[in-house]
Amino acid sequence: MSADTPAIDSHNDGPSIRLLDVEMPGEAAAVSAVSDTVADTLMRLDCPEEKRLEIVLAVQEALANAAVHGCKNDSSKLVRCRVEHYPSGRILIIVKDPGEGFLPEEVSDPKASENLERSHGRGVFLIRQLMDEVHFGGNGSEVWMWKY
Amino acid sequence: MDINVRKRSQVQLIQLRGQLRLGPPVDELKRTIDEALAEGDTRFAVNLAEVAMIDSSGIGLLVKSLTSTKQRGGSLKLVSPSNFAIKTLKLVGVLNLFEVFDSDDKAVESFN
Repeated sequence: MSADTPAIDSHNDGPSIRLLDVEMPGEAAAVSAVSDTVADTLMRLDCPEEKRLEIVLAVQEALANAAVHGCKNDSSKLVRCRVEHYPSGRILIIVKDPGEGFLPEEVSDPKASENLERSHGRGVFLIRQLMDEVHFGGNGSEVWMWKY
Repeated sequence: MDINVRKRSQVQLIQLRGQLRLGPPVDELKRTIDEALAEGDTRFAVNLAEVAMIDSSGIGLLVKSLTSTKQRGGSLKLVSPSNFAIKTLKLVGVLNLFEVFDSDDKAVESFN
């Protein structure tokens, strides 16, 4: 765990249950299978549809960033995805890649008029919009995403 | 994702079913649109009624394709996007770039 990784128990709502802990090859083609697995995991929790769709889309974006940018589509590298469920109902998703990371604060605003018609650059923005709390650790190579 | 393409009144009607996301779904839709553009088609109506989710790569493809069609004097219009697709397109600020219709017929008629 890196020094700037947020503490998992920062909300003090008891120990979590780990629902999923998987590794995927660091390539774009592997992303959808893992996000489908996360969706299945949330279905078993009876997670409401809207909440489930928001979480799964955020996970899809985090995995895509990890594969495409963190691993540079190199299937020999691995992306780790964990899903934790807290007694309060909070869900935590952690996606970690072996890349050099990025500076989240330097990601441009996709809603700025000059960026609206760009074909990329919306993933991190979507993650922040869809989840209730998002932290980047490991210089951006690790994202912790909470849904309340 | 299933992609069904019909042509009506010079409009390419593209019916999608599944999730428009990174990987084969986006790659196949891109190939479908690029091939039609190469053959001179510039009018597209993409039916999203059965697309539960669109990720940023799918959004990027729709926006890029809209630009490509407009540059050629045509357009790409959306038909019956699902509630979550609308929410996602709104979140990233691109919903207003598109004309949206509630049926294939209305989208086709809008081109004429």
